[in-house]
Amino acid sequence: MKIDTFFRHFREAVKSLARNNWMTFAAVSAVSVTLLIFGLFLVFAFNLSFMASELDKQVSIRVSLSPQITADQIDNIRSQIEQDSKVKSVEFISKEEGLQMMKQQWGDDKEFLEGLEKDNPLPDTLQIQPSNPQETEALAKDLQQSYPNYIEHVDHGEGVSDRLLNLSAWVRNMVLVFGLGLAVLAAFLISNTIKLTIFARRREIEIMRLVGASNWFIRWPFFIEGGVIGVLGAIVPVTVVLLGYNAVVGILDADKAYSFFKLLGFWDIAFKVTGLTTLLGILIGIWGSLISIRRFLRT
Amino acid sequence: MIEMHDVYKVYSNGVKALNGINTKIDQGEFVYVVGPSGAGKSTFIKLMYREEKPTHGVILINGVNVKRVRDWKIPYLRRNIGVVFQDYKLLPNMTAYENVAFAMEAVEAPKRKIRRRVQEVLELVGLYDRMNALPSQLSGGEQQRVSIARAMVNNPNFVIADEPTGNLDPENSWDIMYLLEEINSRGTTVVMATHNKEIVNTMRKRVIAVEQGVIVRDEQGGEYGYED
Ligand SMILES: Nc1ncnc2c1ncn2[C@@H]1O[C@H](COP(=O)(O)OP(=O)(O)OP(=O)(O)O)[C@@H](O)[C@H]1O
Ligand SMILES: [Mg+2]
Repeated sequence: MKIDTFFRHFREAVKSLARNNWMTFAAVSAVSVTLLIFGLFLVFAFNLSFMASELDKQVSIRVSLSPQITADQIDNIRSQIEQDSKVKSVEFISKEEGLQMMKQQWGDDKEFLEGLEKDNPLPDTLQIQPSNPQETEALAKDLQQSYPNYIEHVDHGEGVSDRLLNLSAWVRNMVLVFGLGLAVLAAFLISNTIKLTIFARRREIEIMRLVGASNWFIRWPFFIEGGVIGVLGAIVPVTVVLLGYNAVVGILDADKAYSFFKLLGFWDIAFKVTGLTTLLGILIGIWGSLISIRRFLRT
Repeated sequence: MIEMHDVYKVYSNGVKALNGINTKIDQGEFVYVVGPSGAGKSTFIKLMYREEKPTHGVILINGVNVKRVRDWKIPYLRRNIGVVFQDYKLLPNMTAYENVAFAMEAVEAPKRKIRRRVQEVLELVGLYDRMNALPSQLSGGEQQRVSIARAMVNNPNFVIADEPTGNLDPENSWDIMYLLEEINSRGTTVVMATHNKEIVNTMRKRVIAVEQGVIVRDEQGGEYGYED
């Protein structure tokens, strides 16, 4: 398309949006509501899957090695376990390191751990990350059975992350279903706006057809119109969602009581939310205009 | 060249508008299509610019079977055909200049070319001085001249007109006819459906008379032949 032609289409689109200002306002509002809900869901979904993956990292199997084990044997077991496809990574934590970490965790109350260095009661351990968090339990049983002589004890995390993963998948599906329903509604409203424009311009379209304008030449202004409605409709929801999120993150950061509750940072989601929301707005807009011009261009 | 072979048109409501039309119009001809009201003249015209499809038969425009042309290609077919109507079909919120330029913009002609060419055709139809007037500020004759300027601005091989003088007084009608004759003299084929006896009998051209959807007469320099 020539640049002149594009500007012409854009001018036409803006002109007709301005002319049908009330319908434009209604369509933009409908898109805004849809996108607001979509944006909120998006923020939830991103954070849930972020939390789930954070928890996944914590889902590891802790293998306590028996005290009699030699360094060679440890290396041996470790390399064998590393080769298992169900295992993502293996980390050796000596009993000294274990004590060190414990002290850090206990923080202020570490006094009563003093003196343990001499007679460290902790075992050497292997921290094993499973490739698939859902197979943690099976892997733990496997390990126990494979090395009965060297392993004293196998621990693995609870199914918290499982549930969270399920929840985030569920939220994702809800977003899809609910979002789709809303998108259909908004597209319908947009298609009505555009129908009005088409109605207002039917003479113009008739003449365009008579003088040999291609179907695309006729369609483009309506596509742009739909796209502009979509972009306009994204402004308010993106602003509201991002400002709101920024405030929530600020509160949680300031109040240490919630420090276990780790959210994605503002900038981790700002672009994604803006981009996806605007994109959805544009898609709804173009879809709406497609619905309304399809029938009109049949000869 | 326009050829029609055994063309029938039955509208969806069952009306048989054309019942076996056979004719051939060469490049550069000037043809009047005459006949009583409801005879099928407008239908005949509409088939030529593919506003309607023939129910049966073949229409060739410069050798192209218009029935076979895909919907999306129709615009390209029409770029070679200028159409003029009784009611001018001008856009009311555009000036004379813009109405004519619109036809060139729609086929994505370059901007500089548009300016030159639009001024040229407005000059030809005698409206160079009135190019910034809106249709509502122009007389019927002037509006029809704008619509003729629009029909010819893309240099089509054919100009097709359905009662172009239908709404005009004799003086303005003659202005339009001289214009069409001028366009025709430059090699453009002109086909015009008309009820104007005086014009047909004075400016003698080929006459095709249609009655009840069939051609009943086709003569070079013929008379109008009806008492409207
Ligand atoms: N779109 C349509 N749908 C159904 N019937 C139609 C349609 N257009 C025309 N007809 C019918 O087809 C017949 C031929 O109509 P057409 O318009 O071709 O006549 P015409 O010769 O142009 O008449 P006039 O001189 O009054 O303009 C008429 O009976 C008319 O009622
Ligand atoms: Mg007619």
